[in-house]
Amino acid sequence: MTIHNLYMFDRHGVLMYYGEWNRKRQSGMTIEEEAKLMYGMLYSIKNFVNKMSPVDVREGFQCYRTSKYALNYFETPSGVKFVMNTDLHSQGVRELLQQINSQIYIEYCVKNPAYKSGETIQCELFKTKLDELVKQSPIFKS
Amino acid sequence: MADDALFDFLHMEIVSHVTKSDAGLLQDGDEAMSKLEQIGYSTGYRFIERLTKDLSRFKDELEVMKAICKDFWSAVFKKQVDNLRTNHQGVYVLQDNKFRFLASISNSRQYLELAPKYLVFTCGLLRGALASLGLTCIVTAEVTTMPACKFQVHLQRA
Amino acid sequence: MARPGARVADSKKINSELFTLTYGALVSQLLKDYENAEDVNRQLDRMGYNIGVRIIEDFLARTSTARCTDMRDTAEKIQSAFKMYLGVNPTVTSWSPASDEFSLLFDQNPMTEFVELPDSCLSLKYCNLFCGIIRGACEMVQLEVTSWFVQDSLKGDPTTELRVKFVKKLEDAMPAGED
Repeated sequence: MTIHNLYMFDRHGVLMYYGEWNRKRQSGMTIEEEAKLMYGMLYSIKNFVNKMSPVDVREGFQCYRTSKYALNYFETPSGVKFVMNTDLHSQGVRELLQQINSQIYIEYCVKNPAYKSGETIQCELFKTKLDELVKQSPIFKS
Repeated sequence: MADDALFDFLHMEIVSHVTKSDAGLLQDGDEAMSKLEQIGYSTGYRFIERLTKDLSRFKDELEVMKAICKDFWSAVFKKQVDNLRTNHQGVYVLQDNKFRFLASISNSRQYLELAPKYLVFTCGLLRGALASLGLTCIVTAEVTTMPACKFQVHLQRA
Repeated sequence: MARPGARVADSKKINSELFTLTYGALVSQLLKDYENAEDVNRQLDRMGYNIGVRIIEDFLARTSTARCTDMRDTAEKIQSAFKMYLGVNPTVTSWSPASDEFSLLFDQNPMTEFVELPDSCLSLKYCNLFCGIIRGACEMVQLEVTSWFVQDSLKGDPTTELRVKFVKKLEDAMPAGED
C-alpha cells in the first residue's frame, strides 16, 4: 500500500497545503497549476455527482480510481477539502483523512493563533505532526 | 474535553483583541501587555478562591507554591508544573514542558516572537492567585523552545 | 492531591468557572477601554465571531456531523454545542411560522453566575459573545444568520432569551477563473 500525495483546500478553494510521500511521477506543472486544475475538477465532479445521483445524496463524491491509483476525497461540512492519492490496495483512507482533520489540522492550525485562515499553512509543527501521522498509518508503506 | 477548547479559543481571541487596535494595527506593546496581565490577574484572584474554598490555611509560602504547581495548574492547564525550583529567598521558578497555550503553536523556534503575548495572561493569573492567598509578587515568563516555558515568581517581602 | 477536600468540585464545574471568570475579566477590561456599552457589545460580537469560525471545526470533528438540512436541524446542533462546550442546556422554542427563526431560552446561565450589572451598564449585552460565535460558526457551514438577545436575566428579565434568524444560504466558492 502506498500514499502518494495530499492536497488540502480551504472553503474558498485556496490550496492550504500540499505534501507528497511516494509520488513517482510529476505532472510537469507547478503545484499552483495542479491545485487549480484539481479544485476545478473537484468542483465539477461534486456538482455532477449530486445532480446525476439516482438516489438521495448523503456524502456525495468520495473517490475515483484508475488502473494505477485512487483519488480519495473528504470534505468537512465547513468546506475544508482533503484529497489523497493512494495506490489501489489502500483501505481506510477516508478515516485517515478524518484523522488528519481532527488530530492535525484542528490541533495545529485551527487552534494555532499563528495560523490565519485563507493563508497557506507554514506551521512547522503541523508539517511534522502530519508527516508522523501519515508515516504511522498502515497505508503508508514505501 | 470540549470545554477546554472553548477556553483556549477565548484566550486566543483575548490576546488577539488586546494586541490589535481597531484599525488592525499593533498597539503599544507595554499597554497591551499590561491589559492582558490585568485580565489574568482578576481571573486568577477570583479563580483561586473558588478552588481553595474548602482548604485550611497553608502552613508557609512553599506550601502555597506547591499547591499552585499542582492543584491550580491542573485546574487551569490540565497538567501539573513539571519542575519547581526556589532559591529559598522568595524566588520560585515554575517550569512547564508542554505549556497549554503554546502547545498548538510550535515545537521549535518558529513563531518564537509570538510566544510572550501568550504567556502574559498566565503571569497575571499567577500574580492574582498568589495575591488572593496573601502573597505579593512580580511574575515574569521566559521561553526558549516552545512549547516549554518558565514562570519566575519574585515574592515581595514586607 | 494529598490534601483531602482539595478537589473542590468536579472538573467540569471548575472549567466552566474558569471560563466564566476569564470572560468576566475581559468584559470589565472592555468597559474600561470603550466609552459606551454599545461599543463593548460590538467588540464582544466581533470576538465571538472569530471564536465561532474556529470552534465550528472542532465541533464538526467531534460530532462527525453533516451539514444542516433545515433550521430545526441547526437549532438542535446549536443547542448541543451549548451543552458540549458550556454544560448548559437551553430550550429551543418560539419558532416563527416560516420556521426560519427561533429562540434559545437559558434557565440557568453559568456565564452570569458571578455577575451583577451596575446601573451604568444597562445597555451592555453581557453575553453578546455568543451572538458572534453563532454567527461565525453558521457562516462556516454556509448559513448566514443574525442573532441577538431579546431578554436578559441580568437586567431583571424573567429569563435569558437568545434569538437566531436565518438570513440566507451561502454558495460554495467557485473555482478561480470560472464564471
